[in-house]
Amino acid sequence: MAMNRRNFLKVSAGASGSLMVSITLPGCAGIQTGYEPDTGEWRPDAWLELTADDEVFFTLARVEMGQGTYTGLTTLIAEELEIQPERITPRFAPVAPEYRNPLYKLQLTGGSTSVATSWEPLRTAGAEARQMLVMAAARVWNVEATECRASEGRVVHPNGIDSMAYGQLVELAAKEVLRGDIALKPHSEWKYIGKQRGKLDARAKSTGTAVYGIDVDLPDMVYGVVSRSPRRGGRVRDFNADQVRAMTGVLDVFEIERGVAVVADKYWRARKAQDALKIDWDFSDAVSLSTGDVFDSYRAAADDDPGESERSEGSFASAMEEGDRVVEAEYAQPYLAHATLEPMSATAWYREDGMEVWAPTQAPDLGRIAAARVTNLGPDDITINTTFLGGGFGRRLTQDYIEEAAAVAYRVGRPVKVIWSREEDTRHDLYRPAMLHRMKASLSGAELTGWHHQIVGPQILDWYVRNAAPAQYPWAPKFMYDTLGSVGLMAEGIATPKDHSAIEGAIEYPYRVPNIDIRHTHTDPGIPITWWRSVGFSHNGFAVETFMDELAHEAGEDPYQFRRRLIAHEPRHLEVLDRVARLADWQSPVPEGRARGLALFRSFGTYVAQVVEAGVENGAIRVYKVTCSVDCGQVVNPRIVEDQIEGGILFGLTAALYGEITLENGEVQQSNFHDYPLMRQYERPEVFVDIVASSESPTGVGEPGVPPVIPALGNALFALNGKRQRSLPLRANA
Amino acid sequence: MAVSLTVNGDERSLNIEGDTPLLWVLRDELGLKGTKFGCGAGLCGACTVHLNGQPVRSCSTPVEMAAGGDVVTIEGLGEGSRLHALQDAWIEHGVPQCGYCQSGQIMSAAHLLASNPAPSREEIVAAMTGNLCRCGTYSRIIAAVESVVADTSDGAQGGAA
Repeated sequence: MAMNRRNFLKVSAGASGSLMVSITLPGCAGIQTGYEPDTGEWRPDAWLELTADDEVFFTLARVEMGQGTYTGLTTLIAEELEIQPERITPRFAPVAPEYRNPLYKLQLTGGSTSVATSWEPLRTAGAEARQMLVMAAARVWNVEATECRASEGRVVHPNGIDSMAYGQLVELAAKEVLRGDIALKPHSEWKYIGKQRGKLDARAKSTGTAVYGIDVDLPDMVYGVVSRSPRRGGRVRDFNADQVRAMTGVLDVFEIERGVAVVADKYWRARKAQDALKIDWDFSDAVSLSTGDVFDSYRAAADDDPGESERSEGSFASAMEEGDRVVEAEYAQPYLAHATLEPMSATAWYREDGMEVWAPTQAPDLGRIAAARVTNLGPDDITINTTFLGGGFGRRLTQDYIEEAAAVAYRVGRPVKVIWSREEDTRHDLYRPAMLHRMKASLSGAELTGWHHQIVGPQILDWYVRNAAPAQYPWAPKFMYDTLGSVGLMAEGIATPKDHSAIEGAIEYPYRVPNIDIRHTHTDPGIPITWWRSVGFSHNGFAVETFMDELAHEAGEDPYQFRRRLIAHEPRHLEVLDRVARLADWQSPVPEGRARGLALFRSFGTYVAQVVEAGVENGAIRVYKVTCSVDCGQVVNPRIVEDQIEGGILFGLTAALYGEITLENGEVQQSNFHDYPLMRQYERPEVFVDIVASSESPTGVGEPGVPPVIPALGNALFALNGKRQRSLPLRANA
Repeated sequence: MAVSLTVNGDERSLNIEGDTPLLWVLRDELGLKGTKFGCGAGLCGACTVHLNGQPVRSCSTPVEMAAGGDVVTIEGLGEGSRLHALQDAWIEHGVPQCGYCQSGQIMSAAHLLASNPAPSREEIVAAMTGNLCRCGTYSRIIAAVESVVADTSDGAQGGAA
């Protein structure tokens, strides 16, 4: 087991308050820094630890779920610390205020923000530690610090010959006092940032030694499975506890808030016992909707309520009157599951001194709240150990799986690992919301004069505040948790006090159109939802970029030229658009039976244009090629940028071709990869990713590859057969 | 029931219900956590191991079917401290993203190369189609497998590398 027990204990010691100088609120205790003479460890800040044995540890405050923080953030700190990234050992952060994401005031990995929010602080942390090491060496040699330099983990004497390893200097460096700001290295001196280098976790992940949540192993550990209501909101009325309890290996069977837990000495025994479990459910408060009802309710809401104005320029009403025609379209997009390849799991152990949890989570501070909610414990009594994540995509921002494990462990009093089956993971996911979009545009001749976009559906924070707000205010008494959601967010707020999850990607509509009217009709059918890779951009991208294609066609103009003309005022949009058109040879003839489609979309600060070449073969859509130009500012690791963009493209294509969660009388109809398929190797298109060289501040790459590929594929199919598809997933025979 | 099998060269005996999937025996009884649970239905390939030289989905293989057999997992793929050439290629090409599927991917690729040292692109794609990757590492997987194929054929043509 790769859990760093030592680190946990030390952090706990720091968190007990005995060594803290400043007064901190409970739950806000910071990371202890400074030199530990007993162990020879120096923590210059919350991230770095250098030892007398010349080891360098880096606390990774953004979890690694495949998006590359393990390598990328380590590279940032390595660059300024002047040491090869490969010599740094990353370890996953405990919960502490220093590790909060400044954008959200939560310790959360999401929103493609890891590099952008770490870019300055991590380089600064590395630079300060390096400077203190250099100052210490200069003092030893009795030379000017400015005459010394640091390189590859050593400080080099002005004579260029002598040098000292960082490990030799940690005790002295800890005594140095920095004065003023340390200048960060100019771009021209970077050794690691922007260079093609390997991934620091590739070896562990190619040898089966990386520890994911499901791999956690503890002495005396038992296994739990949970049967949840097949319809959301169902309650347990009764179950055959005695019969199940008598089965081989079963230790206990009991009700928890979300269903009935079966605990056994072995996983397979727990599953077999679960097969014998018969639960009488009370569905009186349960969801009984079918998917059709959801869209009917959206249409009714859209008819009743034009929605809150989110952006208004000029007068769309006059544009409609003055234009010579109006084009209207309605787009419908389904619920989508995350389908991380590692199903949900968490391990919890309740002891006299509190609870310790091991989990693959995107938000460990929210995990504490989830565990506190179902126990008598406060957040401070709960320690979260984060593991590698077998995929996240937003799913692991919601902590229901930690909540369950905590509830089970609280009763069992031994370490319990709760593992979800694939079927449970699919049926009890919190989905990308189904959304409806009503689009309207006015044209005068070939000129687009007005743009109207009505977004219809729920917003995610309504579902998320329950855990998020108490994590922002961990000192709040538990009885306040349920009210904190609204109160907390309004009082102090996260960086975006308004929830943009439904409208992002719509309100930033970038094309030059004089009259714009963008609205959100807020309606929530009560199906649990959460963030899903690229969030609101995923559905707004499809609506906006498909409708733009419809309008190009209506205007009788080439879709590339039409966009180009309307985006000329946005240089970064224009550049990726022109580049992708050139690289995909947009104007050239397409091979027989194929067609090309285009989309241009900015999300998470990153500009992406894509051309998809597709056709229909043997009654199925076939995607041959995706060409993508991306401008994400300064690149930290080119290979990871390529991977993330290509991965996003395949993620988007999976949604476009197959993604659909449906409900029948409140029950999710899909269960496993046969009815919720993922794109497979043989379907993989050729993907070419072109990265714009840029020295702008870095922006996210984990999500921006997803949104444009969905409309680009739909637009290609329209070019192929002249049939416009306005709902997803796309069909070969629409 | 008493079950004996050879795992990564070691003889192992255990007493367990015969219908327990080999996956959970490997992971929880023998502590070999490199083999992953993905779907429990043989659909995703994350649990792929070799049984008597054939790739099997260990999540859907009852341990009694493996009794007396020879099982190789990701932990036993290399020779001693030396990694399998595919593992080196995986690292060199930086294949893994989240990495969860990669043990299974490598085991499928290793079986392909063991049975066909010089597969075509089409043969590689066909052999790897049973292994899902949610992160979308498919192109790097092909590149990594092809790099091993190229090294092997170079070696065959040009003698020692």
